[in-house]
Amino acid sequence: MAGPWWRQCRRWTTNSSAASLFETLCRFSSRSASLSSSTPGRPSWSSVAGKAVQTSSCAQFNPKNVIFTSLLMRYKSQFLYPTLQSCCCRTIHSDAKPKDPFTLAQKDLTSLYDDIKKELFVSKEELKSLCDYYFDGKGKAIRPMIVVLMARALNIHSNRAGDLIPGQRSIAMISEMIHTASLVHDDVIDGSDKRRGKKTINDVWGERKAILAGDFILSAASMALARIGNNTVVKVLSQVIEDLVRGEFMQLGSKENENERFKHYLEKTFKKTASLIANSCKAVSILVNSDPEVHEIAYQYGRNVGIAFQLVDDVLDFTSGANHLGKPSAADLKLGLATGPVLFACQQFPELHAMIMRRFSSDGDVDRAWQYVLQSDGVQQTNYLAQRYCEEAIRQVSMLRPSPERDALIKLTELVLTRDK
Amino acid sequence: MFPASWSRLCCRTLSSRGRRTLSLFSSSGPSNWSKVVSDAEKIVGYPTSFMSLRCLLSDELSNVAMHVRKLVGTQHPLLSTARGFVYDNRNNLQMRGVIVLLMSKAAGPSHAASDLLAQDMVSGIYPSQRNLAEITELIHTAFLVHRGIVDLKEWTVSDGPLKDMQFGNKMAVLSGDFLLANACTGLAQLNNTKVVELISSAIGDLVQGIYYENSNNTEENGLTDGVDVATWEEQTFLSHGALLAKSCQAAMELAKHDKESQRLAYKYGKHLSLGHKLNSDLQPFVKSSVGEPVSFSLSAAPVVFHRQIVGQERWHQQLQQAKTQRNQLDYSKLLAAVKSEKGMSSAVDLCCYHGNKALEAIQAFPSSDARSALENIASTITKF
Repeated sequence: MAGPWWRQCRRWTTNSSAASLFETLCRFSSRSASLSSSTPGRPSWSSVAGKAVQTSSCAQFNPKNVIFTSLLMRYKSQFLYPTLQSCCCRTIHSDAKPKDPFTLAQKDLTSLYDDIKKELFVSKEELKSLCDYYFDGKGKAIRPMIVVLMARALNIHSNRAGDLIPGQRSIAMISEMIHTASLVHDDVIDGSDKRRGKKTINDVWGERKAILAGDFILSAASMALARIGNNTVVKVLSQVIEDLVRGEFMQLGSKENENERFKHYLEKTFKKTASLIANSCKAVSILVNSDPEVHEIAYQYGRNVGIAFQLVDDVLDFTSGANHLGKPSAADLKLGLATGPVLFACQQFPELHAMIMRRFSSDGDVDRAWQYVLQSDGVQQTNYLAQRYCEEAIRQVSMLRPSPERDALIKLTELVLTRDK
Repeated sequence: MFPASWSRLCCRTLSSRGRRTLSLFSSSGPSNWSKVVSDAEKIVGYPTSFMSLRCLLSDELSNVAMHVRKLVGTQHPLLSTARGFVYDNRNNLQMRGVIVLLMSKAAGPSHAASDLLAQDMVSGIYPSQRNLAEITELIHTAFLVHRGIVDLKEWTVSDGPLKDMQFGNKMAVLSGDFLLANACTGLAQLNNTKVVELISSAIGDLVQGIYYENSNNTEENGLTDGVDVATWEEQTFLSHGALLAKSCQAAMELAKHDKESQRLAYKYGKHLSLGHKLNSDLQPFVKSSVGEPVSFSLSAAPVVFHRQIVGQERWHQQLQQAKTQRNQLDYSKLLAAVKSEKGMSSAVDLCCYHGNKALEAIQAFPSSDARSALENIASTITKF
């Protein structure tokens, strides 16, 4: 495990495509960096904390030795993410250990699934059971959790009590509904027969009904959204629906050029996963605060956590055994998709290029690609990238006034990185 | 680019297979129908706006059009839906949009809202109402596409390769979702959450209606109990009427017309749709001459009436009698049975009832060329 760190160093310095990948990433984060530097008028507690974190995160993108140091530390350490913890949390928290995000969000999520089922009002019994199928309380409900924590953190930041306003509660619910509707359609598109350890809707009831169920959940979500009565919120969350479809379209094609391919992958990841989290966070901020800079903090936290979440998901497709994620491993390869680990591995094993272009369709492609990925440090590099995104998420959310919920959002980034299912 | 690739695709397939249409308003025959609609289009100006163009010219749909070519020669319904976009009488395709525009124009400028300016109107219609008409069409088209999803487990090898069907499904899900997503963002741009809620509920209605439609169609094979006329009307409203009714109502809301105008516009849309569906269900019954091959759905309105009139037992007997040796249905025999009783005439009566209700609703609006066009459309559906 401790072996290959030096090889990594060499590659960052010699491999030009890896370097330009990082330029891409820097450009990604520079937008938000300029935002935070343009907000000098913050209360002292946040500007001090913010500056500390900001300096450290910017430094990691520029002088190469900082990257190497952190990599070195990571590879030497048994526990994967000590640098992250030490550099961010120590400077920000005065009080003791932050509460577990799941526990803290629990009180706002107790009736989540019941509320969703009430929104899915249909007289036809069979359609009702299809729509309710995934709202069985067994999902992680990670999106609603982020939304309610963010909402409370923002409410406190805006000099109010933390308690959710009704529209924010709706947004938590709507985020899970939009997510589920897209899962139902994705399963038809991918021809999957298992999800969360149970049979998929299309496997049980057929594709026609599955598509209708997805459409119905979406229409119910859209109605609930309209009832919040805020046009800006409607626009923000409608954008998510469009992003989800465009992301799915992006998965159909692949790019010949390596850099283009990585950009394409990150953009697809944003649209398919992060947009929902980012825009839901933004929507709850709109309801409580009129300051666009606050909206941007909420959005950027969601965007960065969302991309990190998906990167880790893509890693788990290689590292997690079957059934752990509720789907077989190497599922992405089997679908012809080249995710982060493969794209990184391709820098080390150019043989992968041809396989990526033919979407792993020849006999033995999936197995060979799998071997290449495990031999390469694609998995580590993808994890490392996820870590970068989490650091940026922490930097963003740290600009909010301290609250147990804000700290839980920071803690959540750690859980995103260390989850194994 | 997109329409070009669709039409190329369609040219190639049209010759090899008979024409099958999925459009809801396409099956009715009266030639004066097309004339009524094309006259109406002139009144509202051409209905195509930038939004549908943007959607059609997008990379995403060009991509689908390219991929759909691979389906040429397969049985996937997406092909005939795509063919319908080009080869169907285009007057029928944008029917709902035209009615929404006519209704907007017939109701006239707003008196209540200060932010709606008369000078923004084009041909007497507000831009937001034009956008709404496009959204209505997008939603309608999205569901034409989603109706054509195939259940893979029911697919047998003799029907053709499963892989083609999987691919066709993928394209159909994606392109339907794309149209629906564009409808969602378009709705949001209207800046009226009441309209967003109303049209979203219409999407929900449409889903339920299609769901019923599917389960009725599977009953066709098992020949179990059909639905009664009241249930038929309820379900047909969901699958064929709710979108138009609610879009007409939403057009009134966008111009801040009062509750009563909204109610009447809804009523017009509802009764017109039901009347139109009855009219098209009746076509095989009124048009057929002896000896000509006929076919109709067993959930068509005249059959539903007939079943209810003669009772389940007689109906089953008649079905048995109409079976050929190869266990197929002789539709001309069934047609004669339906015609001999009151099934057909009851359906005609109901069609006229809905046509008149639509006419009645529109009378409250001031006289104008738009109102006359709506009247013409409503009377056309009662003529056979």
